[in-house]
Amino acid sequence: MSTLRLIAVGVLMHVKMSTRGNFEIATAMIVPIVQATMAVYLLRAADSPHRMIEAAVGAGMMGVWSTVLFGSGGAIQRLRWMGTLEMLIIAPRNPAVTVLPITIATGLTGTYTMIATLGWGWAIYGIRPEFAHPWLFALALPACILGLGMFGLLMASTFVVMRNANALCNTLEYPIWLLSGMLVPITVLPGWTGPLADILPTTWGARGVHEAVSGGAVLPAVAWCLGISLVCFVLGAVSMSFVERRARAAATLALS
Amino acid sequence: MTDYAIEADGLRRTYRSRTGWLRPQIKEVDAVRGVTFTVGKGELFGLLGPNGAGKTTTIKMLNTLLIPTAGRARIFGHDVVAETREVRRRIGYVFGGDRGLYDRLSGLDNLRYFAELYGLPPREQKARIGELLELVGLTGRENERVEGYSRGMRQRLHIARGLLHRPQVLFLDEPSIGVDPVAARDLRQTVADLAATGTTVLLTTHYMAEADELCDRIAVIAGGELRALGTPAELKHFADGRRVVEVEAYGVGDDVVARIDAIPGVRGVTLETVGAAQLLTVQSESDVDVQGEVLAVLDGVRLGRVSSRQPTLEDAYVAIVSGKPQDADPQREKVAA
Amino acid sequence: MRLLFVGGLYAYRALFNWAGPAMFIGTLLVGPIFQLLFFAYLGRQLGIADDGFYIVGNAVLAASSLCLFGGSMAVLNERRFGTLGHVLLSPRSRAITWIGRGLPYAGNGILVAAFTLTVGTLLLGLKIPAGAWPGLVLSLTSAALACAAFGLVLGAFALRFRDAWLINNTAVTLMILFSGTTVPREHLPHWMTVVGDAIPVTHAAAAARGLVGGRSLAEVLPDLGRELLIALAYAVLAGVLLKVFEAESRRTASLDVL
Repeated sequence: MSTLRLIAVGVLMHVKMSTRGNFEIATAMIVPIVQATMAVYLLRAADSPHRMIEAAVGAGMMGVWSTVLFGSGGAIQRLRWMGTLEMLIIAPRNPAVTVLPITIATGLTGTYTMIATLGWGWAIYGIRPEFAHPWLFALALPACILGLGMFGLLMASTFVVMRNANALCNTLEYPIWLLSGMLVPITVLPGWTGPLADILPTTWGARGVHEAVSGGAVLPAVAWCLGISLVCFVLGAVSMSFVERRARAAATLALS
Repeated sequence: MTDYAIEADGLRRTYRSRTGWLRPQIKEVDAVRGVTFTVGKGELFGLLGPNGAGKTTTIKMLNTLLIPTAGRARIFGHDVVAETREVRRRIGYVFGGDRGLYDRLSGLDNLRYFAELYGLPPREQKARIGELLELVGLTGRENERVEGYSRGMRQRLHIARGLLHRPQVLFLDEPSIGVDPVAARDLRQTVADLAATGTTVLLTTHYMAEADELCDRIAVIAGGELRALGTPAELKHFADGRRVVEVEAYGVGDDVVARIDAIPGVRGVTLETVGAAQLLTVQSESDVDVQGEVLAVLDGVRLGRVSSRQPTLEDAYVAIVSGKPQDADPQREKVAA
Repeated sequence: MRLLFVGGLYAYRALFNWAGPAMFIGTLLVGPIFQLLFFAYLGRQLGIADDGFYIVGNAVLAASSLCLFGGSMAVLNERRFGTLGHVLLSPRSRAITWIGRGLPYAGNGILVAAFTLTVGTLLLGLKIPAGAWPGLVLSLTSAALACAAFGLVLGAFALRFRDAWLINNTAVTLMILFSGTTVPREHLPHWMTVVGDAIPVTHAAAAARGLVGGRSLAEVLPDLGRELLIALAYAVLAGVLLKVFEAESRRTASLDVL
């Protein structure tokens, strides 16, 4: 019970932290809006018909991934700079439970992104947010975000010991967009990428959201997303304990 | 069971760093080389030493943030490496400086978050937080964002946070650094009151006066080693048998200092800059009057006030810190207290 | 001249944050490859344009983010590390100094773009006529120079206003949109093509695509010329802005404000 409460309070505090910076909000919204614009023109130019709503939602998903990726990977670094990392680690808690709220909060910030791209699409391009399964969309999106938050823990726990995690963050943005078909499902990828994509929670989360928009089986995709994310969480938790100990041995918890 | 709150036993910490990536060179720095001491329950213990002496490294080994390269430490009998969670339940950590708080959150939010994190039961949180805000004098300012706090206020919030879960041992790392004298005095009073209620406090500082005022016992650390250990009164004896000559001078270079050091009977020379002038402090054996020879060496240098006096605790500290470890001083047997 | 090269080189080493190999490889080499693959496969999926369009376009684009960030970082890091005051107080010609700052980044950008092009062709099977290479090198060079100059302009703005990284990130994303390297220009609204004509990469990418498609160097020269003109224009703009902001900051003492 106290663990759940801790996660709730932690998420609340970190969402407050990240939404009070103009820079963070702008980054979470402006770049995805440009990407949404690009997506609209790309889909219009496509040789098979696509509903424009896919552009808005797809760009929103891309934005959610970016927020989670840079937010989770960069969160530990930020904590280190703020000097709060040590104060978190010194708590008598499993370090995974301490860090999970932070990664979930990055996913929640992604909601701003989705709202921004949908709003932009509607206002500028007249793309009405008409979903095939609106209630399932309202379920799939938070589930996807929760899943990504748990996946974020795995990322965060592997970035903790590195001093320059930004390099990895930069490299993982496009590949996931591509493999998981976040903008549109990519069926033209070589066959061997299929299994790789299938083990990523991002693939299933994106699929669930897209199917809620354009019709299809939403719940299985959501279930897979959450299931795989749970596995990632467990891996992340194990990794986090291991990595925390290593950081204490190598003195990388603080900047000095 | 154990009688001690803190036990440090041969603690060592070596830092290894790699520089360059084409031909990496590994640099090893021995920050702490075998520190041993104990702190009794309810004691206010000071770790005193110059910058870079190893104080912060020592305190971090004791509060589980660093794993010692060698040696062991126990908090209330629990080993810091093997029983980390148990140790963390019983300790609080406060460090000086601007960082360490969530700037964009209010003071209250910071305390709420850490209260939850440190395991303070929910129904006690509100009361305890109120109590602590009162204690550190932040009542009425708690809803403002921390980014607007002064350094002194941040320090006080740090202390409040460190006390949330009623730790049995509080680690304070240079708490009054960069804090104005008035705020620092209030801080010291808070710390003293804490110790009076039975909390064991381990304080690191490089302010001699602070250690003298607050601590029951002081350990002097320099170069990663424990140089002396005792009550402030006992430590004063390190300067026993010495006289101190103080000379105000302008434009004294290192070569002059070296020549003064070479004068027979001189035990130590320090040079500090005070405003526009320099203060040259020469410690010598009490039965040797070196004043004349010092002035002879300083011939040609513009001088101000010259005085000769009995040593103070500050001089004792200088004597301990600047002396070589293998100095055969009979009072040094206090080390293994 | 010496100031131009040597001064720039020292500044480059001192200020280039991405000094470690992991950072370098991750951000500058592998990143653009993935970007290329993303757009190439997206293009295939949507049936918009062939691989060549995306490979060439993205290779030229690959130089962009590097030079953009490099240009602004050169300006900003001086401020962050407190050396800006010293640099601006130096009696040597300011313009030369700043241009010298941008050059090493441009050189790096060329390398990265060339790498991306090579890997892209190997992975996705594009054939480039042998005769096209000299022209391609010219295209990459001109795009890199233009981006570096643009980066200096952004850096100058970031000197004056805060939140520099937002400007940079948005600029790169906008460049991806307006340059016609991802959405072919015929599918963009008119005003976007007008904007695209005024930014780096657009003309160089057009030239590069032409070369790969078999046109001769002489035929794509007008595009290259336009790209170089853009490079010059932004370089001049950067110089002017820096002088203006510098003068302003001397009045309002904002130079050391972070």
